[in-house]
Amino acid sequence: MIRLRAFGDTAVDFTFLIGQALTNGLIIGLLYLLMAIGFTLVFGVMRVVNFAHGEFYMLGAFSAYVCVTKLQLPFLAAVLATFILTLVLGWIIEVVVMKGFRGEELNGMIATIGLAMILQNGALMIFGPDPQSMPAVAEGVVSLGPVMLPMSRLYVVAFSLVVLVLLYGFLMHSKGGRALRAVVQDIEIANAQGIRSQFMYPLGFGIGVALAAVAGALMAPVFSVSPSIGSTPLLKAFIVVILGGLGSIPGAALAALLLGVFESVANPFMSSSFSDMLLFGFVILMLIFRPSGLLGKAGR
Amino acid sequence: MKKIAIAGLLCLAGTAFAQEELKIGAIVTLSGAGAAWGQAMLYATELAADDVNAKGGLDVGGKKYKVKVVPYDDKYQAGEAVTAANRLVFEDKVKYIIGPVGSAAALAVTPIVDKNKVVMLTLGFTDKALGKDKAFNFRPNLTTMETSQPQINWIVKAKNIKKVGGLFPNDETGQQIAQDLEKAYSKAGAQLNAKEFFERERVDMMPLLTRMMAKGIDAIELDGNAPGTAGLIVKQARELGFKGFIIRSGGPATPEIVNVAGNGAANGMLVNTPINPANTAVKAYSDRYFAKYKKRMNGFSPAFYDGTHMLLQAMSAAGTTTDTDKVRVALENIKDFKGILGTLNWTGAEVYGAAHQISAPFYIARVQDGQEVIEATCSLTECK
Repeated sequence: MIRLRAFGDTAVDFTFLIGQALTNGLIIGLLYLLMAIGFTLVFGVMRVVNFAHGEFYMLGAFSAYVCVTKLQLPFLAAVLATFILTLVLGWIIEVVVMKGFRGEELNGMIATIGLAMILQNGALMIFGPDPQSMPAVAEGVVSLGPVMLPMSRLYVVAFSLVVLVLLYGFLMHSKGGRALRAVVQDIEIANAQGIRSQFMYPLGFGIGVALAAVAGALMAPVFSVSPSIGSTPLLKAFIVVILGGLGSIPGAALAALLLGVFESVANPFMSSSFSDMLLFGFVILMLIFRPSGLLGKAGR
Repeated sequence: MKKIAIAGLLCLAGTAFAQEELKIGAIVTLSGAGAAWGQAMLYATELAADDVNAKGGLDVGGKKYKVKVVPYDDKYQAGEAVTAANRLVFEDKVKYIIGPVGSAAALAVTPIVDKNKVVMLTLGFTDKALGKDKAFNFRPNLTTMETSQPQINWIVKAKNIKKVGGLFPNDETGQQIAQDLEKAYSKAGAQLNAKEFFERERVDMMPLLTRMMAKGIDAIELDGNAPGTAGLIVKQARELGFKGFIIRSGGPATPEIVNVAGNGAANGMLVNTPINPANTAVKAYSDRYFAKYKKRMNGFSPAFYDGTHMLLQAMSAAGTTTDTDKVRVALENIKDFKGILGTLNWTGAEVYGAAHQISAPFYIARVQDGQEVIEATCSLTECK
């Protein structure tokens, strides 16, 4: 076993450190990915930065919490119910609230800030401020040598992958998905081709926020559930889409995994405040020198 | 006509019997990770107010005052606390404030309350919350400063602990507590050799825990973390296979930690607690708390219940609710107050420069199936 003396006079188990950090990073990266894809999808369709995205993560977590602890549903059913409920809710919100702001970046952004406040304070009134805990989906750990993989997180990975595969299938190989991508790429041409964009706006918004809600539902048993949990995932989604390129789904995927791994691997070697500074420094550099992101297209 | 006349008479009668109102402001955290403490303080104040209101109000200089609590949520943020303090002092015109919860918030509102001579009972753990120049700040709860040394001496010796890791929020509270604990552990013969600071909103602790565990620690210290966050740390540390001790040297949060981490993960945790389950007065208070708010009582609550009663008694003794200079002196002069926690006195003249710090007994407990089992009883000098 390799031992490293890089922390003053404290010996450190290096294999454990790197292995554990990498696996943590991939797991967290998948969460960021679910958040960021929904975020970038909403932006792609509506041209609106959705500040309420984190609140849908929170709603998803509460929905899973209620389904599992109060209604005694199995976890899979809870995630499915969460997806459908938030898809419908997102659809309704798009038609009722966001319709007037389609394509208006500034007004739309302010509307979503208002929406975020309403959702968060609504949750505060209904559920109260206390963090709630959900039973883990699975107990125990799998150990690969010194690396510990908690079963609860492995489940999250499996579920996230399934959701991502389903989403990929929908976007790439279904009529609705192709239409949605066409709207994201160029709304006027899409209209000219006979795509009913009036139908695509609520669909895009609904799927986008439902993905955030699924991320929340998957993470609820791993973390805790309270009305204020949405802000951190929103911030991460921001970072991911800035790095990956706003509106670019492959860019978001790449950036989310990179972010997760960077956070986890950087932390063992430097203090967490310093790694946060470094990360935001990198985001600023990215904005200055490559504002379109890793895989985004320039000039949009 | 008759009806109007009767209504008029009723109004007159109403005003004739109306009590004066005494407003007590509360700057407390009601949302987010620190909510358990904010609620504990607010509910304590409200229950103390209920006590005096049930007796027809607080008797000050022959007049009866109905006590009303005016709460604002500071979201555990100094900025929000300042907004709340300005509203309480200048719009609600309160002369007494319970709160804030956090150290940063306590320091941020101190200039406002001191300038306007508002008596403040804060929870803030920083040693800067009290001082010679902060004449109106009082602290009715014990902090790490008071409890950590005797408690850590006992735990290090009894459980044979050498290396300790600690995770702390990256703000005034966290930095201060980390510094205090580092000194306390080295005095006790152990070492706090892994310290991690993180932003308060953080929920994924695994990278930080990984780094700490790689250093081969025997124990994780949770002091300084909000209850919800502490619960996440316990849950994730056990998920990562951490087998050592988990210690919480201050800040009662056992019900919340158990709630988030689950019974299994929380078992065996060693916690500081201001409450002895054998204390019947606190038991009765806790039942009353649950009956009214449908929540398990947080351990900070009795201290603020006693603190609010001391404040109210000081007003009665001073014979005024408006001249806070007199009330402050009356509060300082309270000796051997019989609270539900036991006999309470003010201390802290040597440490802080002002005897505005409560002195009360406290305990070390082991968590077993979500309940605290007392392992040692402590005074400010030693644990047995």
